[in-house]
Amino acid sequence: MSLNVAQRRLLQEYRALTNNPPEGITAGPISEDDLLHWECLIQGPEGTPFEGGVFPAELKFPNDYPHMPPTMKFLGDIFHPNVYPSGLVCISILHPPGDDPNHYETASERWSPIQSVEKILLSVMSMLAEPNDESPANVEAAKMWREKRSEYEARVKASVRASLGL
Amino acid sequence: MDVFGDEAFNVPDSTDWLGTPLACLMPVEQAFRCHVCKDFYDSPMLTSCNHTFCSLCIRRCLSVDSKCPLCRATDQESKLRGNWALREAVEAFKNSRKVLLEFARTPPTIQAILPDQAGPSSPSKRKATEMEGPKEEDPESKRPRRSTRSTRARAAELTAAILQEEQDTTPSADPDYVDQPPDDGLVACPICLTRMKEQQVDRHLDTSCPGSPQAASKRRPIPAQTPQPSTFPSFNTRLTSQTNQKPPERLPALAYSMLRDTALRKKLSELGLSTHGSRQLLEKRHKEWITLWNANCDSSRPKKRSELLRDLDEWERTVGNPGTAAGGGGGQQGLGLMARAQATGAQIKDKEFDGKAWATRYGGSFGDLIKQARQGIKRQTLDGNGEKADTKGGGGGEDVGPAELPTLQAREGESSAAPTRMDIVPPSSPPRPGQVDDADTEHDGQAPGKDAIAEDTAMREQVIPGTPDKERQWETSQQQQPPIPGDAQLSGMKKPNPETC
Ligand SMILES: [Zn+2]
Ligand SMILES: [Zn+2]
Ligand SMILES: [Zn+2]
Repeated sequence: MSLNVAQRRLLQEYRALTNNPPEGITAGPISEDDLLHWECLIQGPEGTPFEGGVFPAELKFPNDYPHMPPTMKFLGDIFHPNVYPSGLVCISILHPPGDDPNHYETASERWSPIQSVEKILLSVMSMLAEPNDESPANVEAAKMWREKRSEYEARVKASVRASLGL
Repeated sequence: MDVFGDEAFNVPDSTDWLGTPLACLMPVEQAFRCHVCKDFYDSPMLTSCNHTFCSLCIRRCLSVDSKCPLCRATDQESKLRGNWALREAVEAFKNSRKVLLEFARTPPTIQAILPDQAGPSSPSKRKATEMEGPKEEDPESKRPRRSTRSTRARAAELTAAILQEEQDTTPSADPDYVDQPPDDGLVACPICLTRMKEQQVDRHLDTSCPGSPQAASKRRPIPAQTPQPSTFPSFNTRLTSQTNQKPPERLPALAYSMLRDTALRKKLSELGLSTHGSRQLLEKRHKEWITLWNANCDSSRPKKRSELLRDLDEWERTVGNPGTAAGGGGGQQGLGLMARAQATGAQIKDKEFDGKAWATRYGGSFGDLIKQARQGIKRQTLDGNGEKADTKGGGGGEDVGPAELPTLQAREGESSAAPTRMDIVPPSSPPRPGQVDDADTEHDGQAPGKDAIAEDTAMREQVIPGTPDKERQWETSQQQQPPIPGDAQLSGMKKPNPETC
């Protein structure tokens, strides 16, 4: 079986992530049969209410990756302004190239083929630390984050502990 | 079957140098790799902004948004220029990579002095283990297996022993260790730096030095390790590209908006391409052909037209076909894992395998992370930092205390599926650098709890087809998305962000 550009590049990224894993991140294809479907684990960043948590997520890549970005979805509960209640992550690096019609983002923040799984996961880590409430995906979370920060943090901490079975 | 062990899936990467004494070659190799495909530059082209990408990569990028993917400067395909010096440098590096990497991963003395001792199986064995990652030592090649020994072999053994001693005191990862010649009465080979008695040098150069052409011609041929003239393609390609027929001409881009359907079909049939499909598909097909064709014109070893047609076919089956996920727009986006995998020509095999593969590769890290996380939380709690918060997000908060943590295994029907899955992962060692291909052997063993994993895998796969279509936004199209079902309860509060994710 010959590999197309997307598959080959994903294998390349997988190899690099295995040889030189970034701190707090694990990622790779779930199965050899579908290199376009990955699962990953992200550790909650220190100094945030997500600290101590480990968050599984899935990445789905299009056939024209890396020219188009993957989608990312958390598999557990994440209460965060930029994560839809379904788990779908909404950040600029995951948005296709070109200018955002809503002008929330400049072209330079959006997906470009030079980005990578590693950069996405690092962006998601910093998103956990610093939500962007300009374009909330979870309005309830955004509202709570903006107006009742301590309540928001308590809720996140509780769900982190629950997810760990504590 | 493990396709990661498959030759086709064996993708070398610049991080392969990490953990070897030649880790400094990682950035060198990175410089020879394209930022878009992460592979070695294939027909590198300079943009107007002086960035370089593979011809095919940059042409695809420009066809998406006419911008350099690195600096976002506007550019156009007609301004691309071949970066020929880089092309030669990449070829040269690629040709030397394997030898260098083997050299970096094997203690140099052993390799240089004992090529015969290692036996005929040695090269193929190294080949097989090439991607396993850095190795401290290869015990097999350290111990000579033959009982009849020539003087040279005994001398070599002695040298090896001395060097082994040195290695024990000097970490081989220390790049300086070559610079401190030991006071052993030996001299270093000027080529491979192997230490030996002075009178042995000539013979070594003639017969066993891995870097010497004379030795190479006398030794059993070792593929790729021996620089034969044929491994330097620059001579050949230069010659052949002169003698070959003149390079094919580039195709001009078409202003599709100016073309009627019939005219576009005519263009396609003139090029010998299919005229079937929607108007949109016809345009995409024509554009893709021009991209493939023009990139091929930049290549030092152009493909035949029939090969390009095959590439177009592959594109048609995956990216180009609106029926598959990447094509987008169609109603079939949500077909799920199975359909997508089939669309790309891959086959879903034993489902149980997925779970096993996953467990093998991630079992260790999942377990570790979970363990760390729980310990972290526990510590926080004991420190009084992890205040017991309102447990709206889930139950079980009361369990925490200095007492023994309950085994995760016992829990069932947990609201969050993920940790449950981690729990059933059988224990295995955490991945170490270069472990990728080890998976092959590890899969052979029956992992405990595989039924649970298979069940879980099946469970997860059931979830996927049910995922709402609009979440699979593979396309550039800026069409507005209706709020996803999960947001329904929120829509009364405030209009959800219409932006697609
Ligand atoms: Zn490239
Ligand atoms: Zn540029
Ligand atoms: Zn010149």
